[in-house]
Amino acid sequence: MPDWLDIGVVAVLNGLAIGLLLFVVAVGLSLVFGMLDVLNLAHGALFLTGAYLAWSLGGEHPTWVSWLGALAVAAVVGAVAGGGLSLLTEPLARRSHLEQALLTLGVALVVAELLSAVFGDDVRGVNPPPGLDGTVDVAGSAYPSYRLALIGLGAAAALAMHVVVERTPLGALVRASVADRDMVAAAGIDARLVRAGVFVAGSMLAATAGVLGSPIYNARPGLDTTILILALVVVVIGGLGSIRGAFAAALLIGQIESTGRALLSDLASFLLFGALAIVLAVRPRGLFVTANGGRS
Amino acid sequence: MAGSINRRQLLAMLGAAGVGAVAGGCGSSVGGGGGGGPATPGGAIKVGLVIPQAGVYAPLGVDMKNAWDLWLERNQNKLGNYRVTTIAADEGEGPQTGVPAVQKLLQSDQVDVLVGIVNSSTALGVKDMVTEAKKLLMVSNAGAGAITGKDRVPYIWRTSFTNAQVSSAMGTYLAGSGKTAYAIAPDYAAGAEAIGGFTAAFTAGGGRVVREAKPAFGKTQDYQPFLSQIQASGAQLTFCFFAGAEAVAFVKQYAQFGLSTRIPLYGSGFLTEGGVLTAQGDAAVGVQTTLHYSTELDNAANQAFRSAYQAKYNKPPTVYAVQTWDAATVLNRALRTATGLQGEAIAAALGSVGTIDDSPRGPWTFDGQSPKQTFYLRKVEKRGDGLVNAVVQDLGASSQPT
Repeated sequence: MPDWLDIGVVAVLNGLAIGLLLFVVAVGLSLVFGMLDVLNLAHGALFLTGAYLAWSLGGEHPTWVSWLGALAVAAVVGAVAGGGLSLLTEPLARRSHLEQALLTLGVALVVAELLSAVFGDDVRGVNPPPGLDGTVDVAGSAYPSYRLALIGLGAAAALAMHVVVERTPLGALVRASVADRDMVAAAGIDARLVRAGVFVAGSMLAATAGVLGSPIYNARPGLDTTILILALVVVVIGGLGSIRGAFAAALLIGQIESTGRALLSDLASFLLFGALAIVLAVRPRGLFVTANGGRS
Repeated sequence: MAGSINRRQLLAMLGAAGVGAVAGGCGSSVGGGGGGGPATPGGAIKVGLVIPQAGVYAPLGVDMKNAWDLWLERNQNKLGNYRVTTIAADEGEGPQTGVPAVQKLLQSDQVDVLVGIVNSSTALGVKDMVTEAKKLLMVSNAGAGAITGKDRVPYIWRTSFTNAQVSSAMGTYLAGSGKTAYAIAPDYAAGAEAIGGFTAAFTAGGGRVVREAKPAFGKTQDYQPFLSQIQASGAQLTFCFFAGAEAVAFVKQYAQFGLSTRIPLYGSGFLTEGGVLTAQGDAAVGVQTTLHYSTELDNAANQAFRSAYQAKYNKPPTVYAVQTWDAATVLNRALRTATGLQGEAIAAALGSVGTIDDSPRGPWTFDGQSPKQTFYLRKVEKRGDGLVNAVVQDLGASSQPT
């Protein structure tokens, strides 16, 4: 069945595109949770803010200037929002997850309402920048070139993050914070600075991912929760604070969302959480968390 | 947050139930609320406008409210001989919010007539409540066939459409082309009715559906698996039923995957109606749909309606606006002859309103409790710096399929 082979190749490729985009969203959430022990439910709202930025700066026919501008503005907005979230959650640092979750959920609801008040409840369609709005022939089927570009960009981002975390002093600090936050503080490193830095980086990633994802998902009310849930599933499957885990989990979810839906369309709604349930049963702390790596 | 609202709503409902019981008792001894004896209808009427004010259907609610307000403004705020007080209630996204909204209107606000309702589950969910209260409900959107079909009650009428009615117009039209089709709609009731209506009409006319797909409703953001299937299926055309955000995602991705130039896309008119068309942008150009309205219809009533609507709200009207506009029109006609405001009286009068000859959608009549109306083949075209659903062909009048 060559038809099925073609569908298979395109589905796998598409899973890669969706997976890498998810990685960029989820890695920030994972680091914030893993390093700071803060469950940031406002992460999806940052993604949606990025998507609306792409629409309001580029409109239906973005130029490269508006596109790169949207990415830059999203990075700044993400950084500011990250700093704000860091300050907001600071007083709750030693309290339970539930209290932090309530706070960030409140922030998420407020942001979603504000976006709805500013941009209305209609869907806002976003298109890729010029040159990337066509199709490329893949195994006999047309495939959007923007998604291919997204694969390249996502892979580059993943590689860069891997190098930073595994090969630089900053990365060593990140890994140490995930492993034992208190020991890092005891070693004389300003915990507040680490906290703010991680929040800023994670939020910047979420907001810029919103710009990158907007040609696929558009900008609309409700997208924030959809993305947040996908990112949470990635974080749980990959393990808290593990970049490699987030990477593997995001690729897995990408394939489930793409190949899984193509092959088992009747089970589509079940597949995502089915995978989550299996991982939770087999490796409750996530696929890539070592024995001393996870925090409870 | 959600918990406290629910508790408050619950309290309000309990309170309303008590008030309703007392007021209902008084009302029956006095001889019906609303003022005016049966012989000389007139006085005041309270209309409950049930529209989504939050959630995914909120844009439809805006269009419906706009049309209702505009109609009253242009008709001295009177339905029949009754001065109108409108009380809007938020239907939300589904029956869990819609049913309590209707309950509040009936029991706490004591409305005489209900208008609106976008969600079919809500319309079916309030059936018993409306029947018990003996109040008339004029559905101005919800498209489930059962509302005016197998689950029909004498109090619930509609000025809208049924899902199968819209899609079977397309099925009949496309059957003549001798082409094979791929049919796709979300896996919920409206989607199943739309595909059912299309397939029945299409195959009856000699067409063949090579494959049918039902993506998970509200959980599908990326249609790539289905778009690849469409390419592989060898179908010569695609029929789809999507609305809201899913319509935007599907039409845009259909174009992004290069399908729009190779396999023409057809659908029920909601695919390209109102705000979603703006969001789809150029991706929607060339998409053909069937519907009982288009802003481009060339009749005097539509021209007057469209320019008044455009002038007041600074955007073109939609089918959702027209259906609510017509709800006011038919209630106005019925209340001129109805012997009172009770559900039976209005329903009896609705049964003899005859042809609605001043509707923006063109003339239509009630067949049973649902419109027999003309369907139009529409094609998305660029007009100036915007997009419109240009009318390609008049497909003739049809009733709700049985």
